[in-house]
Amino acid sequence: MNATRRGLNRFILFIVSVALIATGGLLLATALLPGGRDAWTSVVVGFQGWLVGIGRESAGWGAVAAIAVLAIVLIVLAAAAVRGRREAPLQSAGSESTAGRITITDGFASQAMQNALGERDEILSARITSGEVDKESVLHVAVTPRQNTSPRQVVEYVDTLVGNLATLTGRELRTYISVHSGLRAKLARDNTRLN
Amino acid sequence: MTDTTLRTVVRRETHSPRTGAMLTVVILLLLALVYAGIEIVLALTGQSPLLIAPGPALQATVDAPDALAPAALYVIGAGLVIVGVIVLVLALKPGRLSRHEMTWGERAVVVDNGVVASALAQHLSTESGIARDDIVVGVAHRSVDITVRPPLGVPVDQAQLRRIVEQEIAGYELVPAVRTHLSVRRPEDKEAR
Repeated sequence: MNATRRGLNRFILFIVSVALIATGGLLLATALLPGGRDAWTSVVVGFQGWLVGIGRESAGWGAVAAIAVLAIVLIVLAAAAVRGRREAPLQSAGSESTAGRITITDGFASQAMQNALGERDEILSARITSGEVDKESVLHVAVTPRQNTSPRQVVEYVDTLVGNLATLTGRELRTYISVHSGLRAKLARDNTRLN
Repeated sequence: MTDTTLRTVVRRETHSPRTGAMLTVVILLLLALVYAGIEIVLALTGQSPLLIAPGPALQATVDAPDALAPAALYVIGAGLVIVGVIVLVLALKPGRLSRHEMTWGERAVVVDNGVVASALAQHLSTESGIARDDIVVGVAHRSVDITVRPPLGVPVDQAQLRRIVEQEIAGYELVPAVRTHLSVRRPEDKEAR
């Protein structure tokens, strides 16, 4: 699960694409249309007036400052995109029973689930994490089964484990289960061919 | 699944965030900005430019239609438009990943298409008795293509194979639902080509 700002990514791509298409279109118009050269000159001369101002020292340093600010904004955007994964620790939970109060710590719960999944022959690897989506915490169970294993069978088992965990903690968790194929599954298969 | 948070998770996990494309664009923009900044600073401090000073660079841009041959303008203009259209497509297309959502009560379940393909092939092999190596399955966003290559002399009931596959796919409850295309190819079909 990740919390990358997808709308922002696409907005940046959209703005850049419009700028590229406009510039390319203007160049093509300059070469193809009779009035294209005038359009090119009027657009570029506008920028020229601004750049000539850069020759003056104060305007020049202003431009450098503007470029620095824009560069910082771009670096922040790039860092936010890379750092999109938002982990949220599983909360320790407790429930009352006849035997008393049971408290399950996050590490224990995820380790227990991971171990249970690891014992299954058809499961090559499993990872339990919890992330935050829309300020709500979501348990993520990522499973890589051996090739040719029915995803239904895998999900059924994970669902049972999550259900057991909910019974133990007295708290129903929002759960996202992902079933992955991958190099490891392909290498671990018996003697069958990948499709 | 009615939980809006989990719906968001499924949407995110089945569609590309376009992070790679965005980072590429941002890094190129950053490089251009850093270069422009260096040239401006060099011009302001009276030092010689790395490549070209800002003033002459803009003048060259103004004069480009006269200085460059029309063919060069076509090539540069068309190149920019093509790159722009590619970036526009990346910005606007949904960017579906090769995964499917599986309906599973209140849990959010996403399965790689590769997992579905290999499981289907194995199931078909087990149920029909055809060797696993003779079955090739490809799972796309809305369709499943199955090619069966039974050995010579082994009778194959295509309708029965289709029934086996469709029952198994129905059990997965994939979203969006997929259509099944099944073809049986005999070894002689391959040799005839």
